[in-house]
Amino acid sequence: MNVTAKTYQKGEIPGVIAINATVCKGCDACKRHCPTGAITGMFGTTHRIDVDLCLSCGQCLINCPFGAPYETSDTVDEVIAKLKDRNNTVVGIIAPAVRVAIGEDFGLPAGSLVTGKLYGSMKKAGFEILDNNFTADLTIMEEGTEFITRARHALFGEKSEHGGEIGPLPQFTSCCPAWVRFVETRYPTLIPHLSSAKSPQQMAGTVAKTYGTNVWKKSPESIYTVGIMPCTAKKLEASRPEFNAAYKYNKKNGRGLTNKPYPDVDTVLTTRDLSRLFKKLKIDLAQEEEVAGGSLLADYTGAGTIFGNTGGVMEAALRTAYAVLTGSELKPLEFKPVRGLQGMKSASVTLKDAKYNKEVTVKVAVVHNMAENIQPVVNEVLAGRSPYHFIEVMNCPGGCINGGGQPVCSSGSSWISAIRPWFAWK
Amino acid sequence: MEKQSYQYIENPLQVTRREFITIGGIVVAFLAIPTVWITLVTSSSSRYLQARTKGLYQDDTKAAVRVSHGNKSVARYYKEFGGTPLGQISEELLHTKYINRTKVLS
Repeated sequence: MNVTAKTYQKGEIPGVIAINATVCKGCDACKRHCPTGAITGMFGTTHRIDVDLCLSCGQCLINCPFGAPYETSDTVDEVIAKLKDRNNTVVGIIAPAVRVAIGEDFGLPAGSLVTGKLYGSMKKAGFEILDNNFTADLTIMEEGTEFITRARHALFGEKSEHGGEIGPLPQFTSCCPAWVRFVETRYPTLIPHLSSAKSPQQMAGTVAKTYGTNVWKKSPESIYTVGIMPCTAKKLEASRPEFNAAYKYNKKNGRGLTNKPYPDVDTVLTTRDLSRLFKKLKIDLAQEEEVAGGSLLADYTGAGTIFGNTGGVMEAALRTAYAVLTGSELKPLEFKPVRGLQGMKSASVTLKDAKYNKEVTVKVAVVHNMAENIQPVVNEVLAGRSPYHFIEVMNCPGGCINGGGQPVCSSGSSWISAIRPWFAWK
Repeated sequence: MEKQSYQYIENPLQVTRREFITIGGIVVAFLAIPTVWITLVTSSSSRYLQARTKGLYQDDTKAAVRVSHGNKSVARYYKEFGGTPLGQISEELLHTKYINRTKVLS
């Protein structure tokens, strides 16, 4: 552990990404992808990561042509041990972006949607399934309601139903742990703008160890939750010490058996980690049967699944906010202006708030690829000039589908794999 | 009419036609390499990005229910356990607070 790290709480993983000094060639490719300039070292010399600046997003890892950055936290063997121990119910929380990428590690073409095969492989390995898309829908219910509350407070002076404080506009999404850490380490004055809703992963862990005990008929202590994420920053997020809400809730309500605190999400595997786990257990995902999720915690909607794309959270939130505000569904449901790979997307929707019988125009913005696009948006909000009401931010270019935990070489996400076949050496 | 005089030096660099073509070819090839490389790099990265993006939108299009408030299991969760969005249990379990990390924490 880096003893000089200042921006981590006790118990947190102090930086998920490190650079292997013997592999680094000092080529500077990673620096172009780093959102915070956390990578130091002259061109040609071995590079290092400043853990206090690092967001653990892993963009350097998936873009390094030599594979020098690595993850400091690897719990594949720990999860396999838990799977073999019959006293545990191991719950896999599958993020949306995993189902369109993991196939690449088993010889399927990029972008193959393999939800059924993934469920099949997970069941064979011994997991129970909690689809993170279920909690993505839950996130929309919470975050969308929060947005409506903030908007009605700002526009009509409405007071909170539950007596709590109401945050300012624009509201920022809070699903992306790299973005949350960016705000916390650089612009703490923006914290009130962040949605207080937990990320879908943390909601999933909490739900699994509270409501999930009724679903699976297991005690909360025997449930072991594994986030399966396209993201390295999720490993850091899960290690935040305040994320033991299920333990506190169970203890308070007499549902707990032990006094030993347990985290909401016990550990996190990236998409690459899960492929490795399957391969160690001799499971070939491409050959698996397609099966269903098996419990209500695996039910999800189209709105939940698009969370993995840039603009997806916004689109899903708009579909629900529109219906709640106007009383009728958004038509068509596809909200095209927030889709696509353009760096900064904005749109507005004019609708009638049925409760106040007034026309309102909701202005939204979507930002991804923080390394290039975040600064102007942050500056606008800091200066109080932001024209938007709701802003989605995802660190990685394209959203979670291009997260730092996704498969690397097979799809050509590393630029050198494109030219590698031209050389005899590999 | 006066006759105009001008100076003209034949082949100042002393290269033969063959040498000129060879050198020109090498220069053109070197200029072309970055172009080829950049297209390869950008097209391969945006190709897999687009493929995965399409995969998720496909999952949305084929879904029976496409709005979060239409998820019956989420409704059941609230009915059996969670209460209402932003309600007391939701605040306790599904919401969080953030930390100012510009102050020294450890």
